[in-house]
Amino acid sequence: MLICDEYLMPASLDEAFDAMSAHRGQHRIIAGATDTLPWAREGRAGDVEVPVLIDVSKIPELNERRVDGAHVRLGAAVPIQRFLDDPALARAMPVMPQCAVWFADDQIRETATIGGNVINASPAADGTPPLIAHGARVKLAAKRGGKIERRKVALSDFILGPGKTALQDDELMVGLECDALPGYGASFEKVGHRRSLVISLVCLAVLVKLDASKQRIADARLAIGGIGPVPQRLSEVETFLCAGPLTAERLEQAADMPVALVASRSRQEYRREVVRGFMLRALMTAVRHAGGRDILAPELEAAYA
Amino acid sequence: MPDVRIEATINGRRIARNAKPHLRLLDFLRDDLGHTGTKEGCGAGECGTCSVFVDGVLLKSCLVPAAKAQGTTIETVEGLAKAGELSVLQQAFHKAGASQCGYCIPGMVMAATAALRANPFAGREEIKERLGGNICRCTGYQKIFDAVELARDVTNGRRPASALAEEDQADGAFIGANVRRLDAPSKVSGALKYAGDMVMPHMLHMAVLRSPHAHARIVSIDTSQAEAMAGVEGVITCADVPGVDGFGVFVHDQPIMARGKVRYVGEQVAAVASEDPLIARRALAKIKVVYEPLPAVFDAHEAMKSGAPALHEYAPDNLVKHIPIRVGDIAKGFADSDLIVEETYSTQQVEHAYLEPEAGLAYVDHDGVVTILSPSQNITHHRHMLSRIIAQPINKVRFIMSPVGGGFGGKEDMVYQGMLALMAMKTRRPVRLVFTREESIITTAKRHPSRTTYKMGLTRDGRITAVEITMISDGGAYGMSTEGVMRKAAILAAGPYAIPNVKVDTYGVYTNNTPSGAFRSFGALQSQFATETHLDICAEKLGLDPFEIRRINAMRDGATTHTKQTLKSVSLTRALDAAEKAARWEAGAPISRGTTRSDLGGEGTRPSCTLGARLAPSATRPKSEVA
Repeated sequence: MLICDEYLMPASLDEAFDAMSAHRGQHRIIAGATDTLPWAREGRAGDVEVPVLIDVSKIPELNERRVDGAHVRLGAAVPIQRFLDDPALARAMPVMPQCAVWFADDQIRETATIGGNVINASPAADGTPPLIAHGARVKLAAKRGGKIERRKVALSDFILGPGKTALQDDELMVGLECDALPGYGASFEKVGHRRSLVISLVCLAVLVKLDASKQRIADARLAIGGIGPVPQRLSEVETFLCAGPLTAERLEQAADMPVALVASRSRQEYRREVVRGFMLRALMTAVRHAGGRDILAPELEAAYA
Repeated sequence: MPDVRIEATINGRRIARNAKPHLRLLDFLRDDLGHTGTKEGCGAGECGTCSVFVDGVLLKSCLVPAAKAQGTTIETVEGLAKAGELSVLQQAFHKAGASQCGYCIPGMVMAATAALRANPFAGREEIKERLGGNICRCTGYQKIFDAVELARDVTNGRRPASALAEEDQADGAFIGANVRRLDAPSKVSGALKYAGDMVMPHMLHMAVLRSPHAHARIVSIDTSQAEAMAGVEGVITCADVPGVDGFGVFVHDQPIMARGKVRYVGEQVAAVASEDPLIARRALAKIKVVYEPLPAVFDAHEAMKSGAPALHEYAPDNLVKHIPIRVGDIAKGFADSDLIVEETYSTQQVEHAYLEPEAGLAYVDHDGVVTILSPSQNITHHRHMLSRIIAQPINKVRFIMSPVGGGFGGKEDMVYQGMLALMAMKTRRPVRLVFTREESIITTAKRHPSRTTYKMGLTRDGRITAVEITMISDGGAYGMSTEGVMRKAAILAAGPYAIPNVKVDTYGVYTNNTPSGAFRSFGALQSQFATETHLDICAEKLGLDPFEIRRINAMRDGATTHTKQTLKSVSLTRALDAAEKAARWEAGAPISRGTTRSDLGGEGTRPSCTLGARLAPSATRPKSEVA
């Protein structure tokens, strides 16, 4: 049970910082609350008494959603469901709708925020690998000496470990700045114990851009979660995929590369099997999605279709 | 503690209220406003029994702080049926038989409403996907999906409105007829009140202190600080039991609250009642219990060994019950066989996971009758036990069975009703207890975990000459239904097969695990799993078709079972024929098949789960139907 004496809903960033400094050490920031409420239950944190809850979900800046040339600007309080129902966002971030459809369920996606998913820094977060593949930078702000100071940190540097981020005590995550990648073929793979409302054992985001001949990958962006303490970008695989013509051998070799990265606390052998299968299927799907031909042997294409 | 101000529109009516800042929207709707059609099944966003529309968007109200409701328009299940007229979807749920226990149904109806509002032409896969956040434990979902498709088609004019009406049938002909459930309208509308939905004037809320130890002696319980807290109306422990303490189905080995020692993690030790559930919870932390941990045993085989920690004084060997069955001459049976196959089978503990967590309301009425209202599956038995425990004549004890939001055997034991009775007697006020999902899982009975060693002798042509079966089951810390489960497991251990020589031993054993109890099939599942798996293995070794080995040994009309029961008619061979046909079974021994099988997939089989139906190009509404 989450117990508070006061529930504040600041209407601006300024108000939020004032509330944070007035209740320093006594507050907890929430947005969607979809992770905080289940956390404060038996078996996890138990009954938690927080004097002041500061709900930042109504701050306009945190609800920004803008495709701005080469960049997508996302407020931290943007709900995950927007990736499914905002066509402009889906075009600029082609892997996000596929991630969103696997994320919790329709109802939770309506309040669960992209910022919350990042800040929780779960090794199995569904949203983080696709954001990393989109080159996300985390936008942070703090009010120091009466002035709002801002900084940006690459998402891959922001997440330090399970539940750990580079966020300072007086800082708020205000949003993300991502690379707009229209025209990329995308695929998101996830496995858990059931279809909805499940924590990923492994999740994988793949984005590929083909060259004019459609025989070669011009740009590849891959990131994986669930196999170690932090989600990671697969830069070596990306370089290898772009280094030569698009063939079944290249995809199969690429699929083997991240297998060795599996360093989870449990079920490593299972995860290695999953990683290879996911890589093959995700690459196959992303290449098709980008307008490429079938690359793998017909029986593999059929098996993964 | 400054309240939050909530001005909102709920089901078309304006409200303006102050609410405690820690409330969830679910609490605000149910407790402050009385909209109990919205249920709590898990409190963690997993089950969907609490789904409501906020500004037209379906949300799980257990995950929404009440403060967020300020300025919104909310629609609960009570708002769907206008002036008592069920919505098309609600009528479709009624028609399709989509509601059983009914506890998930208000949330399910809300999710289905949201799905069809989002896409009035959604196909079955998209419907499944959009209902993914709502769990049903009774139906297996097919009838729910049927109902949503029916409502979709009636709304779109593809099927006539008469498709929602009850089908005509000959008078009194119910078998094979599609009969609507009488109680479905109360469930699809959210009108039906389960125990946790019921309130009485001056009612108190109870919270329970539970054991953190699997096995420990209770050195002392000091409730004085909790008693002294403002707002605490009563604290009870086993010392408040006026009569002969102890309940159970076959052996009354379980005290209302731990007495002298605790035997499993989650066992109830003390309880507090207050008008404010928050005060009751906070008071639990003020109860000081000193424990002296004892060696514990968590495995039934270990518990049977000499020198293992004993849980109960009356059972130094930790044996709850041993059921032996002997038929024929087992040694001769094995001697007559051509093949002997021995294997060991294990089954695990299983939680019933009904959507309605345990709940009850107790009061002492104007005539001094101690009354307990709860979804108990065995009220008469509970009434007799409680009368002895509280030292009251039977006419001063009354049990009322509230609607059961799923039971599956898990609500047969009198786990918490005794505590409620004691608290109502002590405070002379109505008292309600509602389990959290975590409490329900931690404390209530589970399916018996079992380990079965199976030895079967067969002739070369597949006839079973002898079986020897030993099943050891983990009964957990208290007896509950273990004896009955062991009897049923033993009676059915050798399956529906005519076997001349049978030796069966089932043992229910005490351990410091969560107690095991009644669960659908009551012991049959564990033995059937062993028997049927074993027969498949034997079929493979003998090069026989799995259906064939069963037909060779099947009991027929007039057979006598291993417990001397004569069966006038046995439908086994008919069931085998039907299953074989429905499965399009490819005849032959399992080992005779190649890498591909012709009987997999095809009509009537369901593909594995996928997601993204709404992302597919075909998810858009058909052109012909765009207005």
